[in-house]
Amino acid sequence: MTTRSIIISQIQQVAAEQKKTLAPLTDDLSLLDSGLDSLCFAILVARLEDAIGVDPFTASAEVKFPNTIGELIAFYEHVAA
Amino acid sequence: MDNVIVTGASRGIGLAIARKLASSGYDVTAVARRTSDELEAAIAAGKGQAAGALRFAALDLAQIEAMPEFVRQARRDRGPIYGLVNNAGIGTEGLLATMPNSQIEALLRLNNLSPIVLTKYVVRGMMAEGRGRVVNLSSIIASTGYNALSVYGASKAAMIGFTKSLAREVGRLGITVNAIAPGFIDTEMTRGLDDAQRKRIADRSALRRLAEAGDIADMAAFLIGETGRNITGAVMTVDAGSTA
Repeated sequence: MTTRSIIISQIQQVAAEQKKTLAPLTDDLSLLDSGLDSLCFAILVARLEDAIGVDPFTASAEVKFPNTIGELIAFYEHVAA
Repeated sequence: MDNVIVTGASRGIGLAIARKLASSGYDVTAVARRTSDELEAAIAAGKGQAAGALRFAALDLAQIEAMPEFVRQARRDRGPIYGLVNNAGIGTEGLLATMPNSQIEALLRLNNLSPIVLTKYVVRGMMAEGRGRVVNLSSIIASTGYNALSVYGASKAAMIGFTKSLAREVGRLGITVNAIAPGFIDTEMTRGLDDAQRKRIADRSALRRLAEAGDIADMAAFLIGETGRNITGAVMTVDAGSTA
C-alpha cells in the first residue's frame, strides 16, 4: 500500500469509528472542512505512526500542521521517503 | 494480559504500585534510571507465579528526547500499553528564597515536563486502541501547603490540572485519567522528616497514623482495574485523614 492509500483508508476508518461524515477526500480539501475534529486527527496521527512507522510531528522540528489533505499526505510521504 | 508502565518503580510508592499491579495480573514494566535490590527481589519473587509479570526497563525520565523511542520500543516488544502510572518525581525541599534556580528547574522538569511528555506518547497508543488508564501521582501538598515545599507543591498541583483537562480530552475514547494525592508516606522521599515531625503529622490525621505505600498501590489498582471504569478527572486522596 502506498502512503497515500494508507492515509486515506485510516481517515475513513477513524471517521466511521467516531461517527463523522467525511467530505469527498480531494487533495485540496481543507482538513478543517473534512468532517474530522481535532481528536480524530490525534487518533489518525497515532494510527499512522503504527501503520507507516513514522510520526512527522515528532520527527521534524517543523510543527505547523498541514492545511489540506494533499499537504497532509505530502508531509508523510516526505518523512517516509 | 494488559500492559502497564509504572515510572519511578525501583522503590517507595512506585515499587509498591508495580508489585500490586503485577500480583493483580498485569504485565508491568517498572521504569527507573536503574534497578534496585528491592525491585530485583520483587521480580524474582514474581517469577513462576500464576499472576502477572514484572520487569525492569531503564529510562532516565529527565531525558525527554528519549521518550518517543522508549514508548515505540515498549509497544513493539509488548504490544499496546493499557495503563500508565506517572509516579516518578522528586521532593526537593527548600525555601523558595534560597533555592537554586537549577534545582527549581530540575524539579519541574522531572515532576511535570517528564510525565506530561511521556503521557503524550503513551496516550496516543491508547487513543488508537480506544481504551486506557492514566494515573498521575499528585500529593496533598498540592492543596494544603507545607513549609519549604512550594516548588514541589506547585508541581503536584500542576498534575491535577493536567489530569482534569486530559480526562476531558480523551474521555470520549474510553480512556480514564485520574490523580492520587497521597499524604505523608514513609518512603525515602520523606526521610528528611524526623520522628517528631512524623509523629506530629500522624497525630493531626483523623486516623492518628500515616498512610502507607501499599494503600496508594491499592488505590492505583482500583483506578486501573474494571473498578475504575466510571472514575475520571478525579483526585483520590489517601492520607489517613490528614486533610479531613
